[in-house]
Amino acid sequence: MGLLESFSTQLTQCFGSTSPPVFVFLQQIINGLVLGSLIGLIALGYTMVYGIIQLINFAHGEVFMVGAYGGLATFTYLLPTFAAREWYIALPLVLLGGALISVLVAVAMERFAYRPLRNAPRLAPLITALGVSVALQEAVRVFYPNATAALPFPNIFVPGSLSFSVGGGDIAIKYSGILLLVVSLVLAIALQIFVDGSRMGRAMRATAQDRDVARLMGINPDRVIVLTFVIGGALAGIGGVLYGGYLNNINIDMGFQTGIFAFTAAVLGGIGSIRGAVIGGLLIGLVKSLGGQCLPGGTAYDYVWIFVVLIVVLVFRPQGFFGETERVRA
Amino acid sequence: MTTTPSPDTTSPAEPLSPPPPAGRLAALAPRVTLLRVAGGALAVIGALLPWATFVLNEGPYPEKSTLQFFVAPLAVTGFRLHLVVLGLATIVVSLVPAVPAKGRIVRALGWGIIAIAVLNGAYIAVEGGGVGAITAAGGSVAFGSLVALAGGVLAVLGATAAGLEPVPTWTWRLPTWAEWLLLVVVYILLLLVVAAVLTSGGQGGVVNPYAGAVFLSTLGAVGGALGALHASGLLGWVGVVSERHRVYSVIVLLAVALALPLTGAGTEYWMTVAANIGVYAATAIGLNIVVGLAGLLDLGYVAFLGIGAFVAANLSGAAASQVGIELPFPVVMVISAVIAGIFGAIVGSPTLRVRGDYLAIVTLAFGEIFVRSAQNNIGGLTGGANAIPNIPPVSVLGTSFADPITVGPIQLPSGVLYYVLIVLLVAAVMLVFGNLKNSRLGRAWIAIREDEDAARAMGIRTGPIKILAFLIGAMLAGLAGAFFAHKTAVVAYDSFRFLESVTLLAAVILGGMGTIPGAVLGASILFVLPEKLREFSDYRLLLFGIALILIMRFRPQGLVPDRHRRAELAADAPGAPPPLPATAPVQTAAAGGGS
Amino acid sequence: MTPFLEVRDLTVAYGAIQAVRGVSFTVEQGQIVSLIGSNGAGKTTTLRTISGLLRPVSGEILLDGTPIHRRPAHEILGLGVAHSPEGRRLFARMTVEENLRLGAYTRRDEAGIVADLDRVYDLFPVLGERRRNKAGLFSGGEQQMLAIGRALMSRPKLLMLDEPSMGLSPIMTQKIFDTVRGLRADGTTVLLVEQNALAALALSDRAYVIDLGRTTLTGTGGELLADPRVQEAYLGEGVSS
Repeated sequence: MGLLESFSTQLTQCFGSTSPPVFVFLQQIINGLVLGSLIGLIALGYTMVYGIIQLINFAHGEVFMVGAYGGLATFTYLLPTFAAREWYIALPLVLLGGALISVLVAVAMERFAYRPLRNAPRLAPLITALGVSVALQEAVRVFYPNATAALPFPNIFVPGSLSFSVGGGDIAIKYSGILLLVVSLVLAIALQIFVDGSRMGRAMRATAQDRDVARLMGINPDRVIVLTFVIGGALAGIGGVLYGGYLNNINIDMGFQTGIFAFTAAVLGGIGSIRGAVIGGLLIGLVKSLGGQCLPGGTAYDYVWIFVVLIVVLVFRPQGFFGETERVRA
Repeated sequence: MTTTPSPDTTSPAEPLSPPPPAGRLAALAPRVTLLRVAGGALAVIGALLPWATFVLNEGPYPEKSTLQFFVAPLAVTGFRLHLVVLGLATIVVSLVPAVPAKGRIVRALGWGIIAIAVLNGAYIAVEGGGVGAITAAGGSVAFGSLVALAGGVLAVLGATAAGLEPVPTWTWRLPTWAEWLLLVVVYILLLLVVAAVLTSGGQGGVVNPYAGAVFLSTLGAVGGALGALHASGLLGWVGVVSERHRVYSVIVLLAVALALPLTGAGTEYWMTVAANIGVYAATAIGLNIVVGLAGLLDLGYVAFLGIGAFVAANLSGAAASQVGIELPFPVVMVISAVIAGIFGAIVGSPTLRVRGDYLAIVTLAFGEIFVRSAQNNIGGLTGGANAIPNIPPVSVLGTSFADPITVGPIQLPSGVLYYVLIVLLVAAVMLVFGNLKNSRLGRAWIAIREDEDAARAMGIRTGPIKILAFLIGAMLAGLAGAFFAHKTAVVAYDSFRFLESVTLLAAVILGGMGTIPGAVLGASILFVLPEKLREFSDYRLLLFGIALILIMRFRPQGLVPDRHRRAELAADAPGAPPPLPATAPVQTAAAGGGS
Repeated sequence: MTPFLEVRDLTVAYGAIQAVRGVSFTVEQGQIVSLIGSNGAGKTTTLRTISGLLRPVSGEILLDGTPIHRRPAHEILGLGVAHSPEGRRLFARMTVEENLRLGAYTRRDEAGIVADLDRVYDLFPVLGERRRNKAGLFSGGEQQMLAIGRALMSRPKLLMLDEPSMGLSPIMTQKIFDTVRGLRADGTTVLLVEQNALAALALSDRAYVIDLGRTTLTGTGGELLADPRVQEAYLGEGVSS
């Protein structure tokens, strides 16, 4: 089947006379936004780390994955049964467990893998990051019980979906999806406020702009960098737990894929920009869900379209939507 | 846990100071010879002591580890023999006054001794039955490993206490015939060492549960010996001699490589392993053009191997192939290379606008697009999840390359023809790489790697030249892919995933970026180790990830550093600063006063 | 009495290149001391080493008799040494007020910080008028004011200024130097690195000539102004710049 032919078939399915009713679109948009909010949440970690130490922290996706497993471990092994029954007790505890594990992993990787290479040539930390990514994924596979296959993840939040009728059909959105969307956006806004308004936030921006002068201001860059990894790790860990609860299963590959998408989102929004990361994430989510619906190849190729977006953005607008040209490393 | 500021990491440019005269070890300096001799002697004594007190969990430890020397004085073989040799060498080097760079030589030997002692001791203790196995228990004195370890540590301490001398450079010139003879002998020795290392601990590691230990221990012994030779400057001298007779060396080396099937490693198993190594070595050399010479990081490189393989599979006459034609293998190779090259140029074209780690991400994205498309059987060309099976073997004049052959009285294992073919292929690829590196084009790539803006200012047309690096690199990978398709008979998309790209990159870096032997050495290590260490197969990738981190930390320039290489990954010395602090653009050092 | 700041036999290297090889000088409390010398002499490297951005290969830096050359940069500010670097190096994407607040990063007394913000705005009214504007949009002279103001926000005992007159008009240069004189009157010790030797010497209580990484000559500002060697080597150039 020719590519052009498949393209036109797919487009007719979306926009032609046989196109699906409006509610299918709306459902895809909602799915895209939920996924996108997660991607945006992970993208925050990429964007902050890249902004401060110009490192594409490949292993950040694994921090997200580790957070999901940390949350699962908390639920399975630590949570007393009475607590597991009530979501308002269980959820905060599981989130805490996931975030804690992620923060520990993120801080350890900064301290032992990246910090020794702070002044090394640029390729070295990038390759180290690849090594950290492989090692983390494998560590979970080898040491977490039964992690060779996907594991079921409990629905900790209110079960079921919110559904309503629009455009000739029913749309459903899981409550856990709403939670993911809301928490992600709230955290992103809180982060923006923190970075804009607080003393530490100012120190982070100063370190990102000129590390030497930041030191002359009495800022300890090591501490700022650790803080960056702590924040990024916590957000990724929370994302891991919420996403696990949304999909109800997790696997060790989830980090790499999501990580690449999140990096794409961070670049799309403009590296260093918080709101850019969120908007980039939402866009990537929409590309995946609507691309699976409307672009050639259907869902089998939805990942491919994200990578196409990534290439096009990097080649034609590497500074992203909200990026500042001077920071661009293209 | 992380906020304690340490001076090493907070200063952007810790000045390079000459190595302090051994610091705390300085107190040992007057007694170094004694230390070194004692170290060597302990190693020998350790070799003669028993190493385990009883038969271990999974059967007897090889090389008679429960041996009492006085019972069987001539049964010193395997790792014990290695220890005796390294220990005696340590003593001799320490005592003979004329030996230059003693400290360095003894240090290498000492590390070899430590490696042997630790590896064998650890295996006996961990896999064999607890620490009790290596300490005195049950009436036997079984701490051979501990004695040898102490010997190694003493030797290393004694070697470094007085500060290390530079590696000497020898300028001897022998008559041409003598140098030729020397090179033949050296290369044959190399072949025998390689064969011995490969076959140590048994062929596949299935028969002997402790095969991994024997292999690693042999590797440690060989490493120590090679390190000592390097420290003495002899290795460097041989290198200079072979450089002097370049063409001759290449021919001898090729002949020696082709002779591998005649050694103990000449089994079907090793022929297959060697053919796989060859495929990845050829691909790694191609990647070395892109990363090592031109300095462009490619994280999706294995896609070109895949494209070559799928093209060859489709032109092979295999039942599942979409294109119903069967072409002769040489033609297929050319077509595979050309098509892979075209894709290389496409993937390389963003280099016109994108640099550095953003480029790395673009190449990663291309690689992922390839895998996803192949997984979905794009255009029916890749077979998707079913792969393309039953690709016929290459055959010439009715002889299938997959069969064993007999040459006169010698019976050669099956796969030997593939081995010969891949050796020739790798040799050809090396030749291409070597010529390119020293050509105008190669110098342009290196200039771009060192400083792209400066290269452009010098009039180098950087755009086409960078794309050319991708194109040529991809062609080499495509060639290897065509071979791969026929050798393995099945081509499936999941041979070409991101992890394979990372492994190739690791091979290039581990070997040494921009060097010819580097990529081959790196590929060999990364593909032989898993074969020999089957008992760790569960931890293979975990160890791989950790190894990547450690290499970047401690030896970013790789095992065979490029002599001419300066930037990108190789800092001048461990802990040495970059030429300028990253955040301070051209100023200070060159223009201290300002305006 | 121990001098306020003493630098002894300082050697600093970038990799294999020694940028400073034997710089020694002292700064007394309440003085303005300048380091003058040609391009590449090692003046900026010296300041960067004092503020901890670089580490010396050998030599000592004593502040009030205590060695500080092993301390990281972010601790040295806390000891009362502020450094306004060459080229001003403002945080261009932040506002004037954010830049000034970063200068006071180590301080926790909000009331004192606000008072000092007002003090800087009094000193440089133009900064006060445009406190919400991004620093990157300012002219060279205004940026220099902001750089000095930022350094003052930590209430330093020793203020190090690297080339404050660089790229400024003569009028603006004069204004900056008047400010420096005013700071001394308020009790701040100033260590000044200047290419504009004439203006710097006229202002200084003491000055040192740094040549090829070494301190070669010292005296009061007046003595050096009168020294024929200095006149020949530096002042001809100093007048023109």
